[in-house]
Amino acid sequence: MTLMLGAWTVGIILSLLALGVFISFRVFKFPDITTEGSITLGAAILAVCLLRGYSPVVATAAAFLAGGCAGAATGVLHTRFGINGLLSGIIVMTALYSVNLRVMGQSNIPLLNSHTIVSDAQAIGSWLTGGADGVGVFGWTIGVRELFTLALVVLFVVFVATALYVFLRTNLGSAMRATGDNDQMITALAVDTRNMITLGLALANGLIALSGALLAQYQGFVDVQMGIGMVVWGLASVIIGEALVGTRQLGFIVIGTVMGSVLFRLLVAVALRAGLNPNDLKLVTALFVFVALIVPGLTARLQCGGKTAAHA
Amino acid sequence: MLELHGITKTFFPHTPNEVRALQGVDVTIDDGSFVIVIGTNGSGKSTLLNAVAGTFFPDRGRIVLGGRDITRLREHARAAFIGRVFQNPFSGTAPEMSIAENLALAARRGQRRGLGWALSRSFRESLRERVGGLGMGLEDRIDNAIGSLSGGQRQALTLLMASWLRPQLLLLDEHTAALDPKSAEQVIRLSETTVQRDRLTTLMVTHSMQQACALGDRLIMMYRGRLLHDLRGAEKQRLRPEDLLARFDDVRRTEQLDESASAFLRRAYL
Repeated sequence: MTLMLGAWTVGIILSLLALGVFISFRVFKFPDITTEGSITLGAAILAVCLLRGYSPVVATAAAFLAGGCAGAATGVLHTRFGINGLLSGIIVMTALYSVNLRVMGQSNIPLLNSHTIVSDAQAIGSWLTGGADGVGVFGWTIGVRELFTLALVVLFVVFVATALYVFLRTNLGSAMRATGDNDQMITALAVDTRNMITLGLALANGLIALSGALLAQYQGFVDVQMGIGMVVWGLASVIIGEALVGTRQLGFIVIGTVMGSVLFRLLVAVALRAGLNPNDLKLVTALFVFVALIVPGLTARLQCGGKTAAHA
Repeated sequence: MLELHGITKTFFPHTPNEVRALQGVDVTIDDGSFVIVIGTNGSGKSTLLNAVAGTFFPDRGRIVLGGRDITRLREHARAAFIGRVFQNPFSGTAPEMSIAENLALAARRGQRRGLGWALSRSFRESLRERVGGLGMGLEDRIDNAIGSLSGGQRQALTLLMASWLRPQLLLLDEHTAALDPKSAEQVIRLSETTVQRDRLTTLMVTHSMQQACALGDRLIMMYRGRLLHDLRGAEKQRLRPEDLLARFDDVRRTEQLDESASAFLRRAYL
């Protein structure tokens, strides 16, 4: 049960990554692999801020801003210097590897003794439960720390996802969606698509860095390698979300992406429990995304493909 | 008022594919004037419209709109003053967004786009009214994705979007060429009412001799990147499709000679 709770928590945390990937890959149709660097950047900035004694809230906000800068860098390379989108992301991602090592000063930073949102959640939990170690839920005994961490990240993600939905329906957000949908049309309506793409990638990578910052606090360490494979993970979540709720309504897509991320982590947890070698996880995920991309977008067939691939 | 002074544009210069699309176009278009632009394929008529819209910068020449030099203004910056309807019905609307959302984007052309809610209640009301004015029954479908509509409906909506905020200049680039005859007729009628109602300064490229004669108060015929004919007033009003076809035949006859030969003949006999 604790394993499942862990899968839920990681799924919720990585739903911010999935939302970021949704913005770049789906809203802007921009294959942005800055992601792999910006998720680590978020975690690295967070770790350094925590070690300097800043509060987890300030550190997490700093991570968001740093990710935004990384995304904006990719956007500027692409829109102002005319570099191919994929290549812009590769350049920034490569540069970020060194930046992350510089920020961290070492390749791995443990955060187990730091004041994080996890330790906050634990404090809130033991205050609410009167100092108990575990609480019974549906007959299971669950650690207070795990339960309240999950509750906290759920609240946080609900807030961020709602804010994102509202933003995408404002005048500015609509112009961004139109940029990805038909750039000729939105140019004819007096919008500079270069700014929209740059701002959109900044927002996407801000969310991704936020995800990295939360993940680092949850797992209790930052590793310079933690970003590897994250684009495909995020994409898998987006694809599962689309299979679950379709692509018609913006609100459904946002909710579906969060659900997709959680479902994906649960599938991973089940697969690992069933004996999948953890080293094969990324291969299996890549195969899953491959299958999902080639299977035409029929909901039933996508869902079916997702399940068989994850169990394989 | 739109003024073009000596606009030239050569695509792929100094290559075997060099195209001298515009070779010194001078024209002044008065406010409220509805100008039809015709010409054979490759005569430069669409290039002329794109030069005005800012799709590319001309090699030489100046473009002045309403007293303001817009020659070096980028496409999106000019769009604040210019409404456009494209030939391709897919070009003018965002297919994944709803009718209402598309029009909301058009309603802020040239204005700041901040964090205000895109679809306010009051906007939805005026939206229903103006979409209803198209007479296509779309007012009950304003939350449907534009991608589900026909080409004619999309062009009618694009026209509404281009004119939602009164533009200083309206550019119609063969905007009915890709439609079936019935939709084309409908869109042309809408264009005519819109232009007349708002007294819009309009440049319209067309292949249809019928449209060229029936619409507008001035007609420009392009040939090899230059203005060949410029008819206005009574001369334009008297124009019949047969007259235009005769002029096209003249052009075709000259085209059978190469440029130096026709220049020689002109010198010798005219």
